[in-house]
Amino acid sequence: MKRNKTLRMFFTYAVVLLWAFIVLFPFYWLLTTSLKIPLAVSRGPTYFPGIDFTPTFEHWVYLFDEQRASTLRHFRNSLIAATGSTILAVIIGAMAGYGLSRFSYYWKGLKWRNENIAFWIISNRFLPPALFVVPFLILYSRLDLLDTHFGLIVIYTMFNIPFAVWIMRDFFNSLPGDLEESALVDGATRWQAFMRIVLPLSAPGLVAVAIFSFVFSWNEFLYALMLTNFDAITIPVLIAGQNNTRGVEWWFISALTLFAVAPVVLIGLFLERYIASGLLAGAVKG
Amino acid sequence: MSGTREDRIMKRVFLSPAIAMLLLFSIFPLFWSLGTSFTDIQRGGSTTLREAQATEDERVGFLGLGFSITGQNYARMSSDSRLFATARNTIFYVFVGVVIQYVIGFSLALALNQPFWGRNIFRVIFLLPMMTTPVAAGYIGRMMFDSVRSPLADLIQSIPGWFGSDAYVTIPWLTTGAWARATIVLIDSWQWIPFMTLLLLAGLQAVPKELYEAAQVDGATIWQSFWRITFPILLPISVTVILIRGLEIFKIIDIIMVTTGGGPGSATESLTMYIFKTALTFGNYAYAAAISYVLLVLVVVFSTIFLSLARGVSARATNVGE
Repeated sequence: MKRNKTLRMFFTYAVVLLWAFIVLFPFYWLLTTSLKIPLAVSRGPTYFPGIDFTPTFEHWVYLFDEQRASTLRHFRNSLIAATGSTILAVIIGAMAGYGLSRFSYYWKGLKWRNENIAFWIISNRFLPPALFVVPFLILYSRLDLLDTHFGLIVIYTMFNIPFAVWIMRDFFNSLPGDLEESALVDGATRWQAFMRIVLPLSAPGLVAVAIFSFVFSWNEFLYALMLTNFDAITIPVLIAGQNNTRGVEWWFISALTLFAVAPVVLIGLFLERYIASGLLAGAVKG
Repeated sequence: MSGTREDRIMKRVFLSPAIAMLLLFSIFPLFWSLGTSFTDIQRGGSTTLREAQATEDERVGFLGLGFSITGQNYARMSSDSRLFATARNTIFYVFVGVVIQYVIGFSLALALNQPFWGRNIFRVIFLLPMMTTPVAAGYIGRMMFDSVRSPLADLIQSIPGWFGSDAYVTIPWLTTGAWARATIVLIDSWQWIPFMTLLLLAGLQAVPKELYEAAQVDGATIWQSFWRITFPILLPISVTVILIRGLEIFKIIDIIMVTTGGGPGSATESLTMYIFKTALTFGNYAYAAAISYVLLVLVVVFSTIFLSLARGVSARATNVGE
């Protein structure tokens, strides 16, 4: 029995350490590659800065000095698109989630009740984005929304809403209604009760929604590639573009990639518990 | 709780913005796309319009709108070998990807469900690939699977040496069709195994400990208690995560774009990528819209078959459990 337990522990550690290595090594490789001179990269793999190659910061200097304007502009574009759609998704998602949790709806024509409406909302999330390529191309070029921050914010909000509604509905379902009830009895309007009592209690749900919306918008590629061409280009499109501009410069791409994933990876490191709870609400209870 | 006049108004106020957004930017484009797929609309006009410009005819096409209604986009598909190739690739990504991610994700969830020192740190580390930008994951994969200059290539080249051979071994990770498809699945798996792990772990933590204790008293082996207890209890959540991942992989494009660009030839191209190229590179909006409906049909067929299979399996599993 005792031996069995030791063996199991050994096996567990072997598995998690191996996987941790598989997860972390690529990031380490990005970091070291960003510190290598081009010749050192093309000569074949070297592993330890200062031991089998001499580290240099020239690519990072290039990224933040020579390329400063371009780097910051794309970073700003990503930030605007992601933040804008996050704010909208949180507001719209919280409102709809609250509605679906506290009121009962009945759409006569479709004979849909709350469950059907919620299911229809989440099903939008799983439609292939490729379906929208053509209509959005035509629509955006007619409305002059191509290559604008606003255009990206609108489409990302559309993609973020289903998950936002789903998570918030689940969150409000687990939040007892007593407090709002007493506020309503005391003469507060429904809107006041929502804003002053419900929302402040919903921070964990709102944070989860904000994380998902932000990360999705930050990482999104297909629409950013399709709907932007200069002014509003986001970080993923900038990185993908490194493929052909001047040949693949791995040292520079590594620095740029690390810089690009830093915000979302930091979110993952520090807000892990919200992500887990949000995913659970989104996937399991559905 | 909803009875007052104010509430009857407010309940609409709360739900309307979300519904309006979805109607406007999801349902409406969906029908627009369907409509477009039955026309000859291209970038900057339509085939009909171009012919008309040549003959200086003003009001042309369907209702004088400047395009024709036609079924040619769907007729063309039967002879479009690239469509079949990309559909086959997409299905390959979905099936192989889901299997790999589920099996490894489940194993990691089982490992993380053990009590051991540092468990929370590992949980956070395991999550990281999921947060990474897919385009970045693609580049990372390209560096890891470089046939000559990657650490992996270094490792593989040293293997013959252990057996006293001096053979020079390289694997064409991203340069031949079959290998490249497999490599793309591996990169996607690196990124999305955490999703499976996280959700299956939550499922495992909800399994009552007493069940295992009772099974142990009855003399069940670990293997038996896995198949009789853990697996059946986790079946509903397994169905959910597999379905979600399957539907997500149907959308794959980012990783392919930066690793192989769809090549060699169209050997690694996905349907989404083919649609994107048809619309943006070739400017054939109508045909792109038609292919996107093929993708939708595939997605719907996949979900339906999978869900009915899952229902069958869960019925059997509950029987075994009893």
